[in-house]
Amino acid sequence: MALVQRTARPSDNLAGYFAGGEASRLALSDGSRVGVIGGGPAGTFFTHFLLRLAAAVDLDVAVDIYEPRNFAYQGPAGCNHCGGIVSESLVQLLATEGINLPPSIVRRGIESYVLHMDIGNVRIETPLHEKRIAAVFRGNGPRVSEPIGASGSFDGYLLELAASSGAKVVRKLVNEISWDGGRPQVTSSDGATATYDLLAVAAGVNSQALQLFGEVAPQYHSPKTLKTFICEFKLSPEALDRHIGPSMHVFLLDIPRLEFAALIPKGEFLTLCLLGHDVDNALIDTFLSAPEVKACFPDGAVPSPVCHCFPRVNVVAAARPYGDRIVWIGDSGVARLYKDGIGSAYRVAKAAAKTVVHHGVADEDFRRHFWPACKRIDNDNSIAKVIFAVSGLIQKLRFLRRGVLRMTANEQRRQARRRHMSTVLWDLFTGSAPYREVLSRSFHPEFPAMLCWNLIAGNAVRARRNGSEEPSHE
Amino acid sequence: MKTASFERVLARPKQSERLPPCGAGCATGADIRGWIGVIAQRRKLGLWNAEAFSRAWRMVTEVNPFPATLGRICPHPCEAGCNRAGKDGAVAINALERFLGDWGLRQRLGLQRLEEDPKPESIGVIGAGPAGLSFAYQMARRGYRVTVYERNAKPGGMLQYGIPEYRLPEDILAAEVGRILALGVELKLGTGIGREVSVAELKAQHDILFLGIGALRARMLDIPGEVGGSVWTGTEYLASINRGEPPALGAEVIVVGGGNTAIDAARSARRSGARVTLLYRRTRQEMPAIAAEVEDALAEGVTLTFLAAPVRVDRMGTEVSSIVVQQMLLGEPDASGRRRPVPVVGSEYQLPASALIAAVSQEPDWEGLEELAPGANWIQSAQHGRIDDALWAGGDALGLGIAGLAIANGCRAAEALHAQLRKREQPVSRARAAIAGNAIKSNFYSDLPRAVAPEVSVSDRLAAPGVEVRGTISEAQFLKEVERCFSCGLCFGCEQCFMYCNGGGFSRLEEPMPGTYFALKHDACEGCRKCIELCPCGYLSAEPMG
Repeated sequence: MALVQRTARPSDNLAGYFAGGEASRLALSDGSRVGVIGGGPAGTFFTHFLLRLAAAVDLDVAVDIYEPRNFAYQGPAGCNHCGGIVSESLVQLLATEGINLPPSIVRRGIESYVLHMDIGNVRIETPLHEKRIAAVFRGNGPRVSEPIGASGSFDGYLLELAASSGAKVVRKLVNEISWDGGRPQVTSSDGATATYDLLAVAAGVNSQALQLFGEVAPQYHSPKTLKTFICEFKLSPEALDRHIGPSMHVFLLDIPRLEFAALIPKGEFLTLCLLGHDVDNALIDTFLSAPEVKACFPDGAVPSPVCHCFPRVNVVAAARPYGDRIVWIGDSGVARLYKDGIGSAYRVAKAAAKTVVHHGVADEDFRRHFWPACKRIDNDNSIAKVIFAVSGLIQKLRFLRRGVLRMTANEQRRQARRRHMSTVLWDLFTGSAPYREVLSRSFHPEFPAMLCWNLIAGNAVRARRNGSEEPSHE
Repeated sequence: MKTASFERVLARPKQSERLPPCGAGCATGADIRGWIGVIAQRRKLGLWNAEAFSRAWRMVTEVNPFPATLGRICPHPCEAGCNRAGKDGAVAINALERFLGDWGLRQRLGLQRLEEDPKPESIGVIGAGPAGLSFAYQMARRGYRVTVYERNAKPGGMLQYGIPEYRLPEDILAAEVGRILALGVELKLGTGIGREVSVAELKAQHDILFLGIGALRARMLDIPGEVGGSVWTGTEYLASINRGEPPALGAEVIVVGGGNTAIDAARSARRSGARVTLLYRRTRQEMPAIAAEVEDALAEGVTLTFLAAPVRVDRMGTEVSSIVVQQMLLGEPDASGRRRPVPVVGSEYQLPASALIAAVSQEPDWEGLEELAPGANWIQSAQHGRIDDALWAGGDALGLGIAGLAIANGCRAAEALHAQLRKREQPVSRARAAIAGNAIKSNFYSDLPRAVAPEVSVSDRLAAPGVEVRGTISEAQFLKEVERCFSCGLCFGCEQCFMYCNGGGFSRLEEPMPGTYFALKHDACEGCRKCIELCPCGYLSAEPMG
């Protein structure tokens, strides 16, 4: 196959390496071409920052974004599969970067969340006003929704923005990646080829694109993924108001293999996000028949979802998501565990763009200037794993749940100045803050003291009230 | 309240080939989508242009050995149901077939044999028209000895004598007939049955006889004054032109009829320099003639008079002087579904005329074939044209139809006869409904205007009566036009399912075949239905999970 000839990597071809004229440095210069595989948030953020930073230093580069899918499709086809939660702080940050999400994209301000447990539920108001969260549809809304058009799709909007800032959107599927004299070459499904000075891979973890790199980039190992479940229920506006309100509903239920589940209202729809191990139909059925879940729906009956998907999420970062003239961003590189994937795509894409414009496109440039940003997220994910282990414990142990419920409820009732548990839970469930902040807040001296007190009080009150009838199945 | 199991909302894709409307509409039953697809998807299939063209040509000639001919004259019912029609015009299938047919002639491609071993039976075919030649072709390629008897000087039947040169040049037809003869078919020209050879001799020489005698006796109008000079039937008139002996028509020609023969006669008469008026007793809407041919007739200056029927031919001496015409009204629909013309009493008027050509209807001519005649005018045959074990029939003798139907009759009869003689399973008739139009997502396909074939200007046509009016599209047009096919009901490798599937349920085949580009792994399916919703051609349909 011709691939063998073309697969001479930069290090194998020293002549080519030094022939650039620009000393020995691999860097973009006027007229350089950049290929971006994938037009989701990571790819479009990268393009946005690359073009902006390049313009600031008077560098003229051309960007091709390969995105064969159409975000204007309704239902799961137009959608990039996530719960659609964007923290208000990210929305504001994007605005300062020149990305102003129009009101048509932001479906519904979420003002509180309700934590559901078997022992009761508690409503938690936004801890601080700047921590509000927004809900978006990634595509053109669920099946059976009123078509909202490209202006309503988060991903569609970002891709249009990238195109309007000068990137060319290539509506073709990438079939093959190879090296052409040390430069990455993209072959699309119609057989056309294009050679680039830099390739940014933002293909996510839900396409077959990551399988293209096995031979061409042996140092890269694609991320480990976990199958999740997302579906949409259609409810009447009255039912949504009465049963859901402007709240995200989070469930800590003792169901085997269930990690986390949330119901998020968006317009006339309710999005269910379910994380767990080996998510399958049985787990979904068990969750949907839990009384705490049914209670969130009119007449205690869960309707059939109108739209569903089983997207993969990145749970273990890719190994070495960079090399000479190539970099992996978004979910196909390093991403935040479980929450705020869009936020981490933004940070990683920006770090990659800065590296490319200010330093270069060599493996060493990415290692020194891009990888630290990835590493910060990866380290935070390690902390997250500890936190989720604790939350898993709470899910399993009823006496812990009582303590958490009592402490949160008291904080909310008393309008306490310091809402330790409420803030920790908010950040944990919305992804509004790095996991290390969540952890450090729980190290506040008051936190363990308050928790201990609530554990004792919560369980003592229960025990006194229920006497020996208290079931002790934990 | 019980929660319905989630599995009930899941559906998984099923890959199933469905009949496209072009295939359902084609009289020959050709795999139109198939041969267009081989060319449109040649890159995915790893074929060079020439390989793809010849493979497509072989697919066409599987049922129709006359692609260059039908590509010129077929009224292309295949295009009528094309799902592209509602978008930016039906795929120009007829123009594609013509290009491919011409390409095959230029490349001197030979027709393919199916079975090499010679068969003992001797086959006699009466009539070298499209039905007889199609039958002869299909029998010869299966190893039979075939002799075709033609009473005229040239083969082709109505293709030769009923279609004017400006629509079908003689050399094209001759070359396509020649390819059939090259398979070893013996052709006896100028040999009328009951004239040069008797039916008894024929029966003695051959084990099987095929009647492809057409419907050559044209019906007259049955009106006073029609018997005499300067009155012809449409077929008589066209045949005399095609024999190179055009009759003198005079300056004012009246043609009667609304079919293709009437239009051909009117346009041919126009080329003789006469003023031509065509009378049709219904309206333009009910005209059975090909719409483009009607347009051409109008452009060439033929006057079309609708809701008009001749009631009398007036003569001055022996010469036709005028035609008395009666106006009609459309009444209730008749058995054919068309509204019946009703005469308007007292509406008669005179049209000056020097000649009258009646092209209203035809029926089989049994002269010399009385021994084989079924008693009625038309042959009532069982399935596939079988009359009895040794006597088969096809074409217009079974009922008037287009050339494509005659070719299909010949082909079906040959398949059935071959199965009978070789004691094989009879071919099953593939009566399937075409895929519903709403199963096709026409928005998926990008806009591409329909190819327009080059045309000779009206003045040049009238100046040179034999010049072919419409040309063949260019290779560039051809390659663009095949891209317009939606491939209704069969995978064309658009990759939508592959690229949108989260579970990796589709995998690219290492060696794709036409219509088969992806393998479906059911255990990877997550039931989200994306692929089913996206599949533009309707190849994927939903089936319940589990």
